[in-house]
Amino acid sequence: MTAAPDWDAVYRAELPRVYNFFRYRLGDVPEVEDLTSRTFEKAWRARDRYRSDIAGFATWLLSIARNVAIDHIRARRMHLPLELAVDVPSQSITPEDAMLQGSDAERLASLLATLPEREREVMALKYGAGMTNRAIARATGLTESNIGTILHRTVQTLRDRWERRE
Amino acid sequence: MDESWLNEFRKDPPADWAESLRVRLQETETPDISPDLSSRRPFRRLIPALAGIVLAVGIVSIPAVRASAVSFLALFRVVNFVAVPVDSGRLRALNDSHLDLERLIGDHVQVLVDSGPPRSMASTSEAEAVAGFQLKMPGWLPPDTRIIETAVIGERAAQVTADSKRLEEVLDTLGISDLRMPAGLDGHTVTVRVPPIVMVRFESGGRSPRRTRFFQAPSPEITMPAGVDSSVLGEIGLRVLGVPKDTARQFAAAMDWNTTLIVPIPPTAQSFRQVEIGGKPAVAISYQPPDESPTTMLLWSSGGRVFGMQSIQSYEQVIAMADSVR
Repeated sequence: MTAAPDWDAVYRAELPRVYNFFRYRLGDVPEVEDLTSRTFEKAWRARDRYRSDIAGFATWLLSIARNVAIDHIRARRMHLPLELAVDVPSQSITPEDAMLQGSDAERLASLLATLPEREREVMALKYGAGMTNRAIARATGLTESNIGTILHRTVQTLRDRWERRE
Repeated sequence: MDESWLNEFRKDPPADWAESLRVRLQETETPDISPDLSSRRPFRRLIPALAGIVLAVGIVSIPAVRASAVSFLALFRVVNFVAVPVDSGRLRALNDSHLDLERLIGDHVQVLVDSGPPRSMASTSEAEAVAGFQLKMPGWLPPDTRIIETAVIGERAAQVTADSKRLEEVLDTLGISDLRMPAGLDGHTVTVRVPPIVMVRFESGGRSPRRTRFFQAPSPEITMPAGVDSSVLGEIGLRVLGVPKDTARQFAAAMDWNTTLIVPIPPTAQSFRQVEIGGKPAVAISYQPPDESPTTMLLWSSGGRVFGMQSIQSYEQVIAMADSVR
């Protein structure tokens, strides 16, 4: 007979992964907590499906997080208030400027913000959620070698920019 | 190659927020896909009685068929809903009786397909893929409404074997002595197949969210041997629900039992009415669970699909939402 999983332990292990997935995916924005909560609320109701497959639960949890992030990004695009445009300064700070000005975390966040959507999502799954390349491939539908290539190129690009600063 | 700099943006979730989320999740149960009619206050106490009634009616009368020389099996599909108020005295009699209705029923039910518990879905697209049909959704929703949960309960199927003696115990318990089960009913089997049900939960508003649960599924199908007098069985079912003798007889004779599903309305419901949704007959039930907001439950059928909408939005808004389902 299989012992019931310690869901508290699962929660403690998975919360930082999901939370940091959203940080890497969207940046240091106030919605990170709300989106993390939404992900867990959706998954938690069905957690008994994964009574004997906690690894499957973790992967599924991140797939929900991906969808929550996509929905959020779409909604943000659709509902961006027009009046915000009025406040955009003509000489706004570029990600590169921010990188030069801030802490290492802020610098990295600024660099991540410059990435195309797909590369940013893969980086968020890898470095925010700590997923393996194989798990990312399963979650995204890309091949494992494709994931490896995307990560290699993206990290190389970020490294160049990171080191150029120093 | 050192990649530690790529982890610079990681940080621990705030402890107080993490704890409050943990507590909130602990209170989260497996998704409740059943409408309040069968699972929540004020109907909870009615479950055994209603289960018995529905079974007594369902085994033998709701899908009852007319004798046919050419068809061995007849098929029931929901087209119409008809509300029938349940007599509170009937419920008391069933509750006070020593009949264990669930056991009485369970002895004769063979589960053919077990759906397992409801499953939460990450999106309506996932629900469509799992349920195997394209969802119909409201074209109109109150302002600032969003989907907060989607769940699917898989297909269920069971075979029920009729037992006249036991069903007559129900009639005796209720003091119905002028009606008897038709001869030859014993041993007949009825197969009930309930296709996957999808539930989408909407929420609108901020601090006082107003929630709506929207259910849909292809019509349940019930097959049973032909040759049973549908009106007699229907009459028995209506009498079990507490419909007066003469009314039950007239009603049973006039109704098409191949397509009409009886909706028992418990005495705790504040009101019910027959309405139209998208030009189809529907039942609207109003009730107020203790310490909760007034709730409307709508049931209707269209295009071979059965819909349910349960909401604490205003009655007019619930009707408008249901009317916009496409």
